[in-house]
Amino acid sequence: MNAIAHALPTSVSPGALTIRGLSKVYPFKGKPVPVLEDIDLEIRPGEFISILGASGCGKSTLLRLIVGLDQDYQGQILLDQQAVRGPGLERGIVFQDHRLFPWMTLQQNIALALKNHRLPVAEKSRLVAEHIELVGLGGYEQAYPHQLSGGMAQRAAIARALVNKPKVLLLDEPLGALDALTRVRLQQELQRIWVQERCTVIMVTHDVEEALYLGDRVIVMDARPGRIREDISISLPHPRRRDSARLHDLKQRLLQELAGT
Amino acid sequence: MKLQNVRGLVLPLLLLGAWEYASRQGATGAYAFVPLAQVGSALAELLASGELLVNLWASLLRTCSGLAIGIVGGVGLGALMALSVPANRLIAPLFHALRQVPMLGWIPLIALWLGNGEGAKLLIVSLAALYPMVLNTFESLRQVAGPHREAARVLMLGRWQQLWLILLPAALPGIAAGVLQALAFAWVTSVGSELFLSAGAGLGSLMMNAEAAARMEIIVVCVLCIGLCGYLMSWLCSLLTRRLLRWQPTR
Repeated sequence: MNAIAHALPTSVSPGALTIRGLSKVYPFKGKPVPVLEDIDLEIRPGEFISILGASGCGKSTLLRLIVGLDQDYQGQILLDQQAVRGPGLERGIVFQDHRLFPWMTLQQNIALALKNHRLPVAEKSRLVAEHIELVGLGGYEQAYPHQLSGGMAQRAAIARALVNKPKVLLLDEPLGALDALTRVRLQQELQRIWVQERCTVIMVTHDVEEALYLGDRVIVMDARPGRIREDISISLPHPRRRDSARLHDLKQRLLQELAGT
Repeated sequence: MKLQNVRGLVLPLLLLGAWEYASRQGATGAYAFVPLAQVGSALAELLASGELLVNLWASLLRTCSGLAIGIVGGVGLGALMALSVPANRLIAPLFHALRQVPMLGWIPLIALWLGNGEGAKLLIVSLAALYPMVLNTFESLRQVAGPHREAARVLMLGRWQQLWLILLPAALPGIAAGVLQALAFAWVTSVGSELFLSAGAGLGSLMMNAEAAARMEIIVVCVLCIGLCGYLMSWLCSLLTRRLLRWQPTR
């Protein structure tokens, strides 16, 4: 496969994602173990979806299937009515570990995402600079990843995923490895960025508060096999206040359910 | 100069003292361990006549050309074996069998094919540099972390882009370690090959001629020169590596 040049969409339209009857099994000690079972999900363009579940509920696997890193599954994944086959630039992903390339500067890391776009060089550097500013890393363009803090590296990873103007942004526990204070600050940042960019976002997390604070909908998953237990709509406008009574009540209820107390 | 830097000189100086002491133990001592003064005057003589520099230059030049050939060929072959399973199945058994043969073992055959001139020596030096390059390139490409590969796939990089922008840079620390090894091998075999293939200039040839003329002091000058130059080249190579790998977190 050679590099294919892609045209960057001029105006970003957030994508609608449809998942139908999605199941996935992993072979374990010679036996197939179901990881995801019969997942049905309809995600509207521009929605922020939080997927909440204990570890082992297959939520990260679900993201890997959507991003196209794993194509061995049953069921359908449709982005704007088109079946998803393999990775594509219209779907960006941020992993829990930032996965920046250590031998490239911050700027080079983000510019790499535009490598195969048919764009003038000046336009590319403008986009890169714009997204570095968007995530608040202006001044660190020439820094290598090991010179950045965990929070900064994760911001850079978000910029790299967004610079392609994806229709869907997938976040796989993006703040999971950060300390509590940095995490709270980055949650606010994520909200601000999403309000500004308005792409469809699917975020996987095991942090109840984070899921409620950011999501238009919170999908709660059961483990072994991974199934959707509940689909909670949170019709509060963004940006939100953390101390909202509705979020507080929901948090108590979900914590009780998930922790099984 | 800091104390730590001087410390490395202690052992060499002690050794020189012992050498000088041994050279003063009668006629046998003076024959087996040439007095340092004599070594010094031989060095001055060789420098003045230009003999040392001409021969040193010949050995250095061959080391560098052989190293360059070994690096290019070794990275290419190692990458081919790491990235293509069929190529690895085809090449690996032959490669691993051939690399068991010590470089000295090749000399009679190579001399038969290429004579005892520069071509034969260059081939030997290149081969010596090739082996560590292939092994290090192969291993470090194999060990490129899965997360890096996945990130490259998600960014839709093509195969060649993945190789140039992701896999090779990720393998660079291992490849650089290979270059350091290859340099040492190339230098040793460059001088070593001259001991056996005596046509042409080189430190090894200078030593062979000195032996024939029973000039022990010249041999000592050559030995010192070989050690010092090898040390300097390794040091330069590590400096260059550190500069090239400045993106690595300091350990």
